[in-house]
Amino acid sequence: MQVTESVILLVYLLAMTLFGIYFYKRARQSENDYFTAGQSINTFVGAFAIFAAVASSSSLMGAVGSGVALGVPYFFTYAFGVIAILPFSMFLVSGQIRRAGVKTLPEFFKQRFGNSVQMVAAGIVVVGMTFYMVPQLTASGLIGSHVLGINYTTAVIVLGLGFTLYAALGGMWAITYTDLIQGAVMLIGIVVLALFILVDHNGFVALINDALAVDPAFGDVTQPWMSYFGLFIAFLWFGIISPSVVMRNFASRDARTARRSAMWACLIYLILFLAGFMVTSAGASMGIVDSLANKDMIFVSVIEQYLPPILGGIMLAGLMAAIMSSADAMLLAISAGIAHDIYKEHINPKATERFVTGLGLAVMIIASIVGIIIAIDPPGLIAIMVGWVGGFLLSGFGFPIVLGLWWKRANTTGALAGMLGGVIVFLILVVGQWLPTNAEPIIAAPVSLLLLIIVSLMTEPPSKAVQDQVDYYHTHLHE
Amino acid sequence: MASRSKFLDPGLILTVVLVIYAAFVFIWWPTDIYWLGISLVGWLMFVGLFFWFGLGIIYALWIERIEGKNDS
Repeated sequence: MQVTESVILLVYLLAMTLFGIYFYKRARQSENDYFTAGQSINTFVGAFAIFAAVASSSSLMGAVGSGVALGVPYFFTYAFGVIAILPFSMFLVSGQIRRAGVKTLPEFFKQRFGNSVQMVAAGIVVVGMTFYMVPQLTASGLIGSHVLGINYTTAVIVLGLGFTLYAALGGMWAITYTDLIQGAVMLIGIVVLALFILVDHNGFVALINDALAVDPAFGDVTQPWMSYFGLFIAFLWFGIISPSVVMRNFASRDARTARRSAMWACLIYLILFLAGFMVTSAGASMGIVDSLANKDMIFVSVIEQYLPPILGGIMLAGLMAAIMSSADAMLLAISAGIAHDIYKEHINPKATERFVTGLGLAVMIIASIVGIIIAIDPPGLIAIMVGWVGGFLLSGFGFPIVLGLWWKRANTTGALAGMLGGVIVFLILVVGQWLPTNAEPIIAAPVSLLLLIIVSLMTEPPSKAVQDQVDYYHTHLHE
Repeated sequence: MASRSKFLDPGLILTVVLVIYAAFVFIWWPTDIYWLGISLVGWLMFVGLFFWFGLGIIYALWIERIEGKNDS
């Protein structure tokens, strides 16, 4: 057990929990506040909140782990996709979805395509986000077991339940405000770590040379082209298809604030990955990755090697914070998907807000238990698991969202065909393992696109009202 | 209310720019050219990170300019 690190970690998590409890009462004021923080978040808080929601544990641990294990071009592919997330989603969907005035992605699907598509979308969100809990839990389990000296399984269970309690108590209010702290800790932590590394190795070029001396393949493209391309597109689309990121967009005060927040969040992300490049190089220069039980642990090893225990403890707390905020944003998306989009919309529209919020809590607990069970024996590297989630969501509703916003002729039948077709092809490809890892969306997403276009054209166009609605989405540019 | 084609939306135009750079990297795919011991593929992506942020700034300012014109 690492005593200093443990104390810092526990104090940190306790402080965050108290924060969550403080915001609990505010959160229960109304359902709107609970899910989107009452739409009153400013640019500064918003930038860190968006950043922290996108920057899941995989941004740090997973990217570094994959870069050390598979060569630094893999790390750069990860960054190349991830840093494009916010610009890409701003360009194509953010303004329009905001104009639509909906709170969640499934709600958008209802407005544009009707109830059947909303139900299917809510189902995809719940499955995708539940699986997305797995890499978060894996990362927290690895850190927790290392710091607290308990076994990995116990760490996954205890921390997983802790995250759930936290998300359940505070809703989006607590998460958005603690994200300001978590985002800052994570960012400052990794920049400080990068500076320690650069000083230790006498500069950037020497650092790269040290990494190459230990691992001559460090600078090589080691995987098939399709793996890199598949990973890139899965991440590129993440801001469009990830319900947790989209929900953050709605928490901003107005459209201008939302755009500025996203722009600054992109810069924060860029700095994070520049520092991550140093951490990856340092990890490779240590030459221990093959001896680790789990390659994603290399990040923690770098922290221990280069930082004094107190700073290391803060850094680990920052990592844990990143994981907690991502996991909590996911839990909220799952709970909104079932409680709000399925139960209140379709099963019992007269349900009280208090009951819907309560149902949301129950759903969160079930989802985290499922996540914990899978995370006890994780099916791959963190980066690869996150790539699967991105690929799954992209194949399911990447094109139904974008064409729903941009193409009047897209109709309900087409959207259903595109969603179900994309998801089914994706799952068949994952199970069949014919393609290189993470290459699945290269096939599944175009299948979804083609189905959506062909089936829409073969069936009746949407009503005039729906077509006018599509024009309305774009009125932010000509008013 | 000035009508403005969706095809002139800054978002759509910048998406095309983004796709062109990504396509350039993934089509050329220079795995065997190295600089500082790291494949040029990696460096092209590294440059791309700054390019993406630049596109984000251009978008935010561009839209604000359009909104400013519409307001006045």
